[in-house]
Amino acid sequence: MREERAPGLLAGDSLNLRLARRSLGLIALCLVLLPFADLAITTHDPWAELGRMLSGLLHPDILATESLPHAIALTIGFALWGTLLGMLLGFPLALLFPHSRLLRGGCAFVRAIHELFWALLLLQVFGLSAVTAIAALTIPYAGIFAKVYAEILELTPRAPVDALPEGVGRLSRFVYAELPMVWSRLSSYTRYRFECAMRSSVLLGFVGLPTLGFHLESAFREGRYPEAGALLWLFYLMIASLHLWGHRRLLPWIALGSLFLLGPWPDIDGALLWRFVSVDLWPQPLLEGNWSGLWQWFGEIPDLLPAIGNTLLLGLMGTAGSLVVALLLWPLASRHFGNRPTRMAGKGVLILMRSTPELMLAFIFLLMLGPSMLPAWLALSLHNGALIAFLVARHADAIVPGSHALPASGRYAYELLPRLYGGLLALLFYRAETIIRETALLGMLGIATLGFHIDSSFAYMMFDQAFVLLLITAALNIGVDALARRYRPREIAETPGQHDRPAGEAPC
Amino acid sequence: MRWLVACLLILVSTAASAETFRFTAIPDENQSRLEERFDKVAHYLEDRLGVEVEYVPVKSYSAAVSAFRNDQVQLAWFGGLTGVQARRLVPDSRAIAQGKEDAEFRTYFIAHHDSDIDTQGDDLPKNVQGKAFTFGAKTSTSGRLMPEYYIRNQFGAPPKSLFSRVGFSGDHTRTIALVESGTYDIGAVNFKVWDAAVADGRVDTDKVDVIWKTPTYPDYQWTVRGDVDSRYGDGFTDKVRQALLDMHDPELLESFPREGFIPADNDDYQPIEDVGEKLGLLR
Amino acid sequence: MSVEELVRFNGEALGHARHTVLAELTLGLQAGERVALLGPSGVGKSTLLAALRQRLGYRAAWCPQEHGLVPPLSVYHNVYMGRLERHSALANLLNLIRPRRDAWHEIQALCGELGLEGLLKRPVAQLSGGQRQRVAIARALYQAREVFLGDEPVASIDPHQARRLLHRVQNQHTTCVIALHQRELALTHFDRVWGLRDGRLMLDAPARELTLDDLDTLYPDAHSSDPQPEPA
Repeated sequence: MREERAPGLLAGDSLNLRLARRSLGLIALCLVLLPFADLAITTHDPWAELGRMLSGLLHPDILATESLPHAIALTIGFALWGTLLGMLLGFPLALLFPHSRLLRGGCAFVRAIHELFWALLLLQVFGLSAVTAIAALTIPYAGIFAKVYAEILELTPRAPVDALPEGVGRLSRFVYAELPMVWSRLSSYTRYRFECAMRSSVLLGFVGLPTLGFHLESAFREGRYPEAGALLWLFYLMIASLHLWGHRRLLPWIALGSLFLLGPWPDIDGALLWRFVSVDLWPQPLLEGNWSGLWQWFGEIPDLLPAIGNTLLLGLMGTAGSLVVALLLWPLASRHFGNRPTRMAGKGVLILMRSTPELMLAFIFLLMLGPSMLPAWLALSLHNGALIAFLVARHADAIVPGSHALPASGRYAYELLPRLYGGLLALLFYRAETIIRETALLGMLGIATLGFHIDSSFAYMMFDQAFVLLLITAALNIGVDALARRYRPREIAETPGQHDRPAGEAPC
Repeated sequence: MRWLVACLLILVSTAASAETFRFTAIPDENQSRLEERFDKVAHYLEDRLGVEVEYVPVKSYSAAVSAFRNDQVQLAWFGGLTGVQARRLVPDSRAIAQGKEDAEFRTYFIAHHDSDIDTQGDDLPKNVQGKAFTFGAKTSTSGRLMPEYYIRNQFGAPPKSLFSRVGFSGDHTRTIALVESGTYDIGAVNFKVWDAAVADGRVDTDKVDVIWKTPTYPDYQWTVRGDVDSRYGDGFTDKVRQALLDMHDPELLESFPREGFIPADNDDYQPIEDVGEKLGLLR
Repeated sequence: MSVEELVRFNGEALGHARHTVLAELTLGLQAGERVALLGPSGVGKSTLLAALRQRLGYRAAWCPQEHGLVPPLSVYHNVYMGRLERHSALANLLNLIRPRRDAWHEIQALCGELGLEGLLKRPVAQLSGGQRQRVAIARALYQAREVFLGDEPVASIDPHQARRLLHRVQNQHTTCVIALHQRELALTHFDRVWGLRDGRLMLDAPARELTLDDLDTLYPDAHSSDPQPEPA
């Protein structure tokens, strides 16, 4: 990518040149800051463990996991109810979204905290129950739905409304002339989000909720790789077959049926809940009005500044890495390159990479490379890069090349990339918010981001500290999102395939 | 419609069976077939206590504590530190029994052979300094609290300034795997887990071995909520304790894994509480 | 007999916020008059119709081009939208789920007349261009107002059909203003012709006094081999 643009050409005011300068700026900033990242490779003998892992993947043992059907049902049930309730909450919010700054701020806040952190927080009040799991999905999803639905509704064509007779009420106007015009985009986005919810639902197992992830994480952690392999394959299968069982008419029945399995519902102890919200979450000095004590309390949060620095740095590295990975990988799945078998293989690789939970990828790299920032960087870059590459390849397939005589490299650099680059960069900047959210999450593996300290605070039952760290994380995410929005290429309103991509390729 | 009502009725009825006595256990090695193994324990307790008993699987120390705090379990097999955490959060809860081994528990420091650590001597070898080191879970007594205490005691410095890198593997089995793969040079591990791994041949002792054993300290224990007597009948706590002490079936004990249980009380864990406060893990 | 004047423009400028589309417009619409609105595309026919629609308010039935339809909804619902304001929001909502019996029968009859029989349940997205135009006309007719305002309602319909449709519209509406591009129809089916060119009203005369050649002067490149003198 970089070699293909001669330096002299970077001066100029065409759209692609501006985009190229922006991306080179991003990569340059990343390179300048790279020395501050801990990227040491410390493992000297990972091969035995990796061999066991590979053999487990190749010889999966599906019978090793007990109560597997129950775990599958819960995974689907949580995802379904989380999406459903998030949608029911998010839709009315979307209607108010353009009118209330407070609401937009609130939505940005609930979105900015990762599902897993919501789960850790809710776990304290609702315990290991379906309420925790579903609320952990519903709360951030309501914020996401509010934003994305609002963006979609904003693009509603005006003509049908203009054609209505005078004096039609708001509600009638909405359901007849506005909603039907965007219905398919709303429902395709909701479907996409349900797929994300499946992934998140699996992840919830990592903090102990009894989904597939519960068994997957234990099996991986304890090195029971045949079992882990089977669970991973099962997960891919569930995602890949979503279009088969995730049918519009089938889902309500699955949702109702899963209700039977979600119990027992927790008895909520009002006093405990109140104590948690009014006392546990707040620093003691703050409740006492002791300001100097509060300052001291802040000082006792270990390594706060390095954690913030690491979070931002990893986020930047992840974004730049995703850019490079996406540029390298998208031709794998595009009809403009290779032949049928290579494309099938390429698509398969991209789907595998984007479906594997980042935490899992990072964990595998951790074994290979040791406990530095490197595994997290690779995991973030590969996962998000593959996701973007997949979408870009789909956009590329909509392009009819002008000249067939060009060699592959020429086609790549002259025919296709100039047309796709804006869309690619827009996707990347949309993903930046997700990447920074995931960065915090990877802290749970021991990489010293904010997520590491949030995880510790929960483990030490210091909820006030956890809460403040969550607030800082949320603020950071909102800041990064604002920054990404500022630099996101806006000129590419009509990239090919824009219609299959809902407004705001939202965090998954 | 009728169908929907039926659904709701069933939901309500599942929610209503609240007076089941539930317990959980922090599994420290081999989390496979947890339910199968602990369901046997649940059956045993059911016979002895005369109430319905159910096992709730958990995967982390903190999940166990929050389940206890939220009254989702009334009895729990905790580690030393997590037990103290739980008893602080749930007033009147009591430690009632510990494993025979738990009165004199130990942590083993293990190291990869390539890290060339001198294993002679009674103390933690001096040349561990500058190596990469991993604890287990953040609130494990044997994987975090006590090893950190002994490290600070001996070197007068926190682990962070002593080692080139300090990690938290998350659990003891993982600690062994990470040291064996050379990801970390040194690790601190629960001695029971290490012994079991060596006995089963799950660890290559040509690559990794014990370099130091800590002095003994109290660890795992059964803790029960203070309100169980009023909820399940007078003397219920004593009945639970007696049932645990009378558990002799090796098949049941293997899940913990302990040779048997002996009485314990809150005071036995005062040393743990003191160390926890000193290290800032409790406040 | 005194004729009611429905709308009058007196040297007014029509257009959007900063851009004047029609300057110094002076014209009047009399009740009972059937007006054909001619002119090249982009000249401001839609602007004039919108202004008329605004002035007439409740008295006008409005037939926009097909993009005023809602493609995902059925023909029935699209036509029903012509009377959306006459029912409560709840009734409208229920009608989406289960069509009102009375409306259904009425719309069925109307659609039968317009050659849309059997298509009531079909989403508009699945119709041909000509069928969609007829749905738009059906909606306007269903509004049952005094004046019919149509923006090229018969643009992509064959001449024979177009005549039938105009007939049907004019049967119901003695007053109408319809933008067209079929000049012959303007002369045969209308009382008056308004012709727009270059941002102004160039022609406002009874149809019986006009010939096709007069109408050609409205179109800059019509008969370019045989240039017409500038109209006075």
